[in-house]
Amino acid sequence: MNPPLLSVRRLSIQYSVRQSGLFGRTRQLQAVDDVSFDLMPGETLGIVGETGCGKSSLGKGVLQLVRPSAGQVLWQGRDLCQLSPQQLKPFRKDLQIIFQDPLSSLNPRMTVGEIVGEPLELHAPELDTSGRERAVDAMLERVGLRAEMKRRYPNEFSGGQCQRISIARAMIMQPRVIVCDEPVSALDVSIQAQICNLLRELQRDTGVALLFISHDLSIVRYMSHRVMIMYLGRVMETAPREHFFGAARHPYSRALISAVPQPDPDQPTAGPVITLDGDLPSPLDPPSGCVFRTRCPHAIPLCAGQPPALESFGQDHEAACHRARELQ
Amino acid sequence: MAPPVLAVSGLNVRFHTNDGVLTAVNDLSFELGEGECLGIVGESGSGKSQTFMAALGLLADNGEAGGSVRFRGQEILNAPRKVLDGIRGNRISMIFQDALSALTPTMRIGNQMTELLARHRRLGRNEARARAIEALEGVRIPDAAARFSSYPFELSGGMRQRAMIALATLCGPEVIIADEPTTALDVTVQSQVLRLLDGLRQRTRTSIVLITHDLAVVAGLCSRVMIMYGGRVVETGPVREIFRNPRHPYTQALLRSMPSMTTDPGTDLPAIPGQPPDLENLPPGCPFADRCEHVFERCLEQMPSLVPVGDRHSKACHLEPGP
Repeated sequence: MNPPLLSVRRLSIQYSVRQSGLFGRTRQLQAVDDVSFDLMPGETLGIVGETGCGKSSLGKGVLQLVRPSAGQVLWQGRDLCQLSPQQLKPFRKDLQIIFQDPLSSLNPRMTVGEIVGEPLELHAPELDTSGRERAVDAMLERVGLRAEMKRRYPNEFSGGQCQRISIARAMIMQPRVIVCDEPVSALDVSIQAQICNLLRELQRDTGVALLFISHDLSIVRYMSHRVMIMYLGRVMETAPREHFFGAARHPYSRALISAVPQPDPDQPTAGPVITLDGDLPSPLDPPSGCVFRTRCPHAIPLCAGQPPALESFGQDHEAACHRARELQ
Repeated sequence: MAPPVLAVSGLNVRFHTNDGVLTAVNDLSFELGEGECLGIVGESGSGKSQTFMAALGLLADNGEAGGSVRFRGQEILNAPRKVLDGIRGNRISMIFQDALSALTPTMRIGNQMTELLARHRRLGRNEARARAIEALEGVRIPDAAARFSSYPFELSGGMRQRAMIALATLCGPEVIIADEPTTALDVTVQSQVLRLLDGLRQRTRTSIVLITHDLAVVAGLCSRVMIMYGGRVVETGPVREIFRNPRHPYTQALLRSMPSMTTDPGTDLPAIPGQPPDLENLPPGCPFADRCEHVFERCLEQMPSLVPVGDRHSKACHLEPGP
């Protein structure tokens, strides 16, 4: 088997949160807790979870846009967590990101040409102006925009076009990995499919690996080779797409899959909906033991005592649940 | 047939902007029946929300509405504030996408509820409080008596959305307009909220309008659906009919382009090319024409009118007899 492109080992990310009030004390919020995974070349790993599960923090932690508090991000034999901002610079061209809100992630005072060409100035100083311009033109055409659009400003474009500009900016240095943080959630339904297709096409052509962060399982199923489910900062389950959607082991995964609405009036969900009561607990005060137990329909006393470790359920398939075997 | 609860006919909504006049809703007509759940589906700018903002006199200052909106036979479009105040929050109420900005941030949840009851039902303090707590329990908010004194920001997103539903249903409205009620919610909470709305409709025969961009949400909840594009209705019919036998090219393309749990990940999604229409420069013909795979000359010149293509099923498309 090929070696992984990127390996994340036991990554944790903490934020300091000050409680309200004059004498509010500072508390640690564990946004990502002991997460490990490998990303293979040309692979899409879907990272799924609800608001506050740490999926975006994880994406930013991998790129060192947020500094992890523990763990490793192994890239070409180096641990990115140990590198200074200066030392990270040469790696940035290989590791890119696309954000959810296309307009606010583009500098409103720069033209589209400047936005897409900026990475070239930093990472390819050997290119002269006309060389840079040619590269920008080609990249804009590649993402389905016209080269003459480079003289215009982001606010002149629709949401879908802005997301194409973000993709052009991310792709221009031919990165090996792109973190896609909810890249289609803010777009109209009729535009989502365009952007999904574009990302898949670019992956086919360039072999770029994607960390595809989303809360929408229908889109994750379509985009990803493998799926990782997170809840309150921890990994609940990881599996290849077919295994996950065919034989998910974790009660949380099953509830998520069951709740996905289907565009079919005779079968509005894929099966009976597994109802989860209540809301997400506060990440400042997560439950003891298994973090999911307060909403889990199968929780037993053991779940409150001890956090379950990830157990293997076949090739590349792991789930963290004390009862995963007996519930099968 | 029973008379409709809400009858909209020839509704137009325009906004005056610095760049000119923007047409948000164009010659819209439909009826909402007693106890019916009508889905209104469209992308941003399709006019789905502004239709109801206009009906309830909630348009922004630069907006104007023309046509007719009758509620139980009474004209309410551009009605005096006094008339609307007696209806809004009482007989017709709204649920918005973003509960945090729809609730008053500086007022406790309970006070927002008792204020409404004092106004429309003339209830005393204790009685209003009991009714409000009952309503919070009705939407399964745990520890409702304590939540009664919470401020909106103290509740989680799902709980806030449920509190807004409790507020919207407090006076026993005849119509609930739910504008993207679950878009901001996580998928597991979304199904809780949708079931809550459906239970309410079945129990009280309240009519519900569900405004959404997500066809899949409509499939589970509504009996009839109206598809809007560029301020116009392009297709309307029973939900089952629209999903099984969509007749307008936009509906067909929209259904095809959505990935579902049965989409083959090995194939490209049949995306709709192009961009949503520019409302300041709507074409004289069909607003979908420049993205439509079946477009022909007439589509560019003349707006097709809504014509029946089946039982209670209509479409606005020149293509005949229909693909």
